[in-house]
Amino acid sequence: MSSVSGVRRSASSRPVRGAELAPQIADAHAAGSPLRIVGGGTWLDAGRPVTADRAISTRATAGVVEYTPGDLVITVGGGTTLEEIGAVTREHNQWLALDPFGSDKGTIGATVATASSGPLASGAGRVRDLTLGVTVIASDGSAVRAGGHVVKNVAGFDLVRLATGAWGTLGVITEVSLRLHARPEVDETVGVVLDDDTAVALLDTLGSTGLTLLALELVSANVIGSVRPAGSGGGAWTLLARVSGNRDRARAQRAILEPLGTVVQFSNDIWRSVRDMDGPQSATFRVSDAPSRVLGTVRTVRAALSAASVTDAALCVTPSTGRVRVAVPYSDDDDAPIRSLVKSLRGVGASAVWERLPADCWAWVTPAATDPISLRIRDAYDPHHILNRGIFGPMGGHA
Amino acid sequence: MNHGTVSPALLAQFEEIVGAKWMRRRPGELVAYDADALPGYHATPSLAVFPGTREETVRVVRALADARAPFVARGAGTGLSGGSLADGIVLLGLNRLTRIIEIDAANRIAHVEPGVVNAKLSRAVAPFGLHYAPDPSSQTVCTIGGNVAENAGGPHCLKYGVTLNHVAALDIVLPNGKPMRLGNPYGETDGYDLLGLFVGSEGCFGIATDVWVRLVPLPQAVRTLLADFPSVDAAARAVSRIIATGIIPAALEMMDNATIRAVEASIYAAGYPADAAAVLLCEVDGLLEGLQADVDTITDCCVASGARTVRVATTDEERARLWQGRKKAFGAMGRIAPSLVVQDAVVPRTRLPEILAEIASIGARHRVRVCNVFHAGDGNLHPNIPYDASDPDESERVHAAMSEIMNACIAEGGTITGEHGVGLDKLPYMDSLFDASSLAMMCAVRTAFDPERRANPGKVVPVHSCREWHGTRAARDSASLP
Repeated sequence: MSSVSGVRRSASSRPVRGAELAPQIADAHAAGSPLRIVGGGTWLDAGRPVTADRAISTRATAGVVEYTPGDLVITVGGGTTLEEIGAVTREHNQWLALDPFGSDKGTIGATVATASSGPLASGAGRVRDLTLGVTVIASDGSAVRAGGHVVKNVAGFDLVRLATGAWGTLGVITEVSLRLHARPEVDETVGVVLDDDTAVALLDTLGSTGLTLLALELVSANVIGSVRPAGSGGGAWTLLARVSGNRDRARAQRAILEPLGTVVQFSNDIWRSVRDMDGPQSATFRVSDAPSRVLGTVRTVRAALSAASVTDAALCVTPSTGRVRVAVPYSDDDDAPIRSLVKSLRGVGASAVWERLPADCWAWVTPAATDPISLRIRDAYDPHHILNRGIFGPMGGHA
Repeated sequence: MNHGTVSPALLAQFEEIVGAKWMRRRPGELVAYDADALPGYHATPSLAVFPGTREETVRVVRALADARAPFVARGAGTGLSGGSLADGIVLLGLNRLTRIIEIDAANRIAHVEPGVVNAKLSRAVAPFGLHYAPDPSSQTVCTIGGNVAENAGGPHCLKYGVTLNHVAALDIVLPNGKPMRLGNPYGETDGYDLLGLFVGSEGCFGIATDVWVRLVPLPQAVRTLLADFPSVDAAARAVSRIIATGIIPAALEMMDNATIRAVEASIYAAGYPADAAAVLLCEVDGLLEGLQADVDTITDCCVASGARTVRVATTDEERARLWQGRKKAFGAMGRIAPSLVVQDAVVPRTRLPEILAEIASIGARHRVRVCNVFHAGDGNLHPNIPYDASDPDESERVHAAMSEIMNACIAEGGTITGEHGVGLDKLPYMDSLFDASSLAMMCAVRTAFDPERRANPGKVVPVHSCREWHGTRAARDSASLP
């Protein structure tokens, strides 16, 4: 498509980002030789039981493809780290409001592939809400471009949603277009330290209030223990709130928290501790139910932890979505409590999602994407299942 | 495509399922379903069936599957891309399914049937201090099921997001008649985002029988501004300036002079300045504190971009009147000529000044009157052309102009539809927007849901782009579906 204005070309006429990866992928497809897709490598310790002959890195695709700050949209290579995107957008007082669990060393490709949403999801949207376009290289080496780089788009079937959360099984993500936000005038973190009874009472009402802040999380003391500001007390929980907007609005948001206790100022760096609550080695899962039942969800989780004799779990509760995220540290010589936990959480149903586990425990997790529609879609992108084989857990004949 | 008549056996089955009262067979009755809101396209279904319950819907789809008969689902028929036209095949009308099954105010979720009218849902949840945010201009008649099929938008999607962002779960019936749950109203699901994929699939993946939508608290306060500009260019520049401040307005709409004059000459007259080259209708909402500061910032942005005046609505009545002019602008254009093409395309926001100039010059070249009324904050254009569809020469010029406008939007890095869907109308542009391998994958994904391609056949993806997938393993026997 030639350009009328001579300024831009349509997405389909641009060179494919990461085209140099296509021959390797196509060869592996032809040989039936499975590949492990690696971005920043930060998820490799999730223990997911991937079988692969070789790894394929997306890091060579890193870099900005297109960024017009006035559009509040950026297109980058899939191997670009969140840190790199942050540095580029900061210059224009903008940001990509995604803070997946882990750190900014992770790549945008992995963020989209895992659909990992951190605390900012409450106020700024999840990965699926901010991802406008994705290019993947399917297993036969063909480039599949979905979406675009405009903020509204319903042209054709929405294959962007498929790439989001597919854990790489529907192609290697080589390019992503994302919606950015202008940085708000105020973006500060405040917290209220609470004892257990108060936190529990609060949870019973907080889920139903519809209060929307940029982020609002109730975290257990061990998530942020060492970085708690002096004089903030020693309660079991801290309610962390990210207040933002213009000065008047931020002040009003802060005032909403005041009846709950002493409001303490935190550094925004506190969110790094929340995102990194997994620590060096932990089994991590999340359980979600209706926001109004979040207290019940916390109790269910506590009962399961207690039954498995786990005493040092870190908890992060998102009242607006009813989600409880739990990280349980373990040592290699004793993962028995984790095994016990996996079994007891099976009873919680489909809403319990495991993120990290010791490799040998994945066998007990109900695998994902096993319905016939998902299997057919996977067959369309990757008929020999060479991409991240096994990453959804053992899938019988469809691994 | 004409599949002719429905077999007597299938007719008898439908009659047994829904009763003869809820079937339309005579040409005189079927003419009511031979078009949607896209002018110039007509196709008569062989039969229209109107199930009254979820169970009846599933049974009708199963009967169609057994007979291997193609079908098209239809809500209110307000679509703007020809997506609900059924050419000689069975039309499945879902507008009897109008129950709001549950309003879970504590969790801000409503469980509704697909035929519930968009605005009616917002009215029903208002007593709980909630609303359903996506607000297409047709919201007083269009249905939630249709909104799901098209991934409908609306003015307030700038801040609140489109239908995709508001659907928590769906119960669907696959084209083979088997039911499936997508998403989870109260929690997460692991695996592929089939829910996100289904929203906006234009009736090609099955029929949603139950929809769980997210509701949004009504804002504590709302401020609505009207800024008038001496040039379209100045208004377009104000849009970029406002967005760059970091304020996300609830809505940021632009109307050009042709639209303003049409509105002001109609019963929907909103008090827009008739001599303005363009107006911006901008709304901010949320906590009362901080709202005035946003109003001041937006006013400054408009003035700095050349606005002649900026007016803030002081009463609810004034605000409602300003919005009525915008929402009924399409109706107002109906007074100008017998037919109206409501077009839909998107460009990156910063390209608005260039594309609007380009559209004006295309309109002049083809001697058609383009009225622009659109979601400026999203870069989502609606260049509309009132014309007389019975005049072949004018129709041809309108189509030529529309085609050039679409190609200009693609060339600016945009897309051919932001919220109306591809349907039939946008099919010719899909090859310009997507390369062959991307279109082929769309076909393959459709085949995963509907191996026989009986659900809304011939829409969304050009048939020729699907050829290479014939006979691949993606087109397995449908017997293995759930």
